[in-house]
Amino acid sequence: MSIPPIFLTESTLRALAADLLGAGTQVIAPVAVEVRTSPSASASAACRHPGAAPVEIEYRVLGDAAGLDLGRRLPVLSLKQFFLPAHEALCRWRQRGTTVQVEAVPTEFAPQVVLAAKPCDSAALAVVDKVMNWDYADELWNGRRAATTIINLACPVIDESCFCTAVGASPDCTKGADALLTPVAGGYLLEATTEKGWAFLAAHAERLKSDAGKGGEEPLGHQAADERAAARARAAANLEIDAASVRAWIDSHFEDPLLAALAVRCNGCGACTSVCPTCHCFDIVDEEEGVGRGTRRRCWDTCQAPTFTLHASGHNPRDDQNSRYRQRINHKFAIYPLKFGEVLCTGCGRCTRVCHAGQDLVEILAAIDVVARRPSTTTPGAPDTEAAS
Amino acid sequence: MSELRDIARAILADGRARVVIGWEDARRGARPVFATDPDDADKLIFDARCVHNLVTYLNPRRDNVAELGKIALVVKGCDAKAVAGLLREAQLGRDDVVLIGVRCGGVLEASDLGQPLALTPENVAPRCHECDVREPNLVDYLVGDPQPDPPRPAMTIDERIAALESRPLEERWAFWTEQFSKCVRCYACRQVCPLCICERCVAEKTRPQWIEPSSHARGNMSWNITRALHLAGRCVGCGECERFCPVGIPLSLMNRKLQQIVAERYGYVVSDDPEKPAPIGDYRLDDRQEFIK
Repeated sequence: MSIPPIFLTESTLRALAADLLGAGTQVIAPVAVEVRTSPSASASAACRHPGAAPVEIEYRVLGDAAGLDLGRRLPVLSLKQFFLPAHEALCRWRQRGTTVQVEAVPTEFAPQVVLAAKPCDSAALAVVDKVMNWDYADELWNGRRAATTIINLACPVIDESCFCTAVGASPDCTKGADALLTPVAGGYLLEATTEKGWAFLAAHAERLKSDAGKGGEEPLGHQAADERAAARARAAANLEIDAASVRAWIDSHFEDPLLAALAVRCNGCGACTSVCPTCHCFDIVDEEEGVGRGTRRRCWDTCQAPTFTLHASGHNPRDDQNSRYRQRINHKFAIYPLKFGEVLCTGCGRCTRVCHAGQDLVEILAAIDVVARRPSTTTPGAPDTEAAS
Repeated sequence: MSELRDIARAILADGRARVVIGWEDARRGARPVFATDPDDADKLIFDARCVHNLVTYLNPRRDNVAELGKIALVVKGCDAKAVAGLLREAQLGRDDVVLIGVRCGGVLEASDLGQPLALTPENVAPRCHECDVREPNLVDYLVGDPQPDPPRPAMTIDERIAALESRPLEERWAFWTEQFSKCVRCYACRQVCPLCICERCVAEKTRPQWIEPSSHARGNMSWNITRALHLAGRCVGCGECERFCPVGIPLSLMNRKLQQIVAERYGYVVSDDPEKPAPIGDYRLDDRQEFIK
């Protein structure tokens, strides 16, 4: 089944968002958030950094269709927070004498739609799906994935830290998503790529018909293709690696001094793992909420913290930051691809941008690519390097 | 610049230190560099983008840095206060480190810029306004020319605190509740802090669990307030916690407020003199203690 791309204007897109909200569907979308705001406008004005940008982009639950930000900038935190929240309850318990009652949490979720997702963020969900369904099917992750329809917005490529095309994604991919919006003159072309996406288009056919004939389909199709190809070229200009060689080199050079040299300035702060769309490690903790009752939660954890691998015996197999940084590189570019056939990275570049110590994954992958004896190529039009082979 | 590089080169050549930690110019702006070979000395730079407090690399938690051998560290005046903090708390011996001081006329808020920029009220790091050590003390070498004062920030940290304090309690509570709600508990603030020296942080203790690890309102409030209190009278105001915070919590407001309280109650202003005792390690008969009932 296939439906040709549909032209729609921005106002129709916003009307579509309003339709969804009107029907009670939760919509998640990029929103411009005022930095350091406060519910109190006066306190907020007093506390704003003079030099700071006034707004940041964040994925938020949309309250109003007008709030949808179509500027195609990169949200600070990735989409993973809506599938693996920073913390969530796994169960609640209550103890009476020697009996313990356990209250489960729901694993079915109301349908929701993500509008204007970043392709690197949707692709990350598809990558993480594999580990979430490896030796255990994670009901909470799968429940949210099943309930969610994701519509990507083709990305113009943000800056010099983007490298999606080097790791099997691209600025216009629909991996992990159900449909794609591509900007064209006067609006967007919308095309569905999965059954869920087709069903979405069918359900909103009435609204989507409203701009029929306005765009003159064929030239817009070329325009969209050009726009997408130009973005891919921009990403490829930042970094091209041979992912298979990088994987083989990392896998066979555990003690190589290069990895330690790359790690030394790292503060182990873990900010990279928080903003990463693919980092999915969590800790499970019991939090008491009174005598004999409490909640078991899982919370984001980071391999960059010493306690991540601290054994009960006191032994820590990764007891310095060099080994912890190596683990992050190793997990993403060797362990995960060897186990699941895909690198655990979609090239969003958030880790590089968020690192105030100057750890730069583009530079690090380029350095590993060089020693992996595959000098990086910059042949224009070369096919994307693909880890998932 | 050549003065800095010459000293670094000589230190590495004759073995006074095995590594010089300073700043270099990288793809995305200035960043820390670890020079281990005399030839690496040419990488060193110092300009207004060198915002990082490199003293975090002297933190006793940094086993991997200590393994490189004796460290020579490039410090601004404010950074030297953090060295004094480590000396004061016996985390470091003065002979363990070679200090190369740079005269500093203020730094930018962010390091990730391609070119050194002139400081303006909009881009200057607000902490530079309160600086009383443009010429670092405590150092073995001092390089650079005397620097003028940086421009006054559009709003100083003290003014922002005063503006916030002028609001009613409910508004302040709403402000901090909103700010802490953003925290994802990555602990970047702790990891980058030169004075967060605990081998085992209170946030990691589970028996008993003092601070809930989840990033809900309770857990975030107790984490952020506990960390601020653990740094009262110790924080040097370098602002690295705020700069590293991936979600932009204005931690400087809290840390600076605690500096104000400590100054008012104990007459202690963060000092780069390691001999000057900090209130946390000092007892005086006239200390105010009306809170002990």
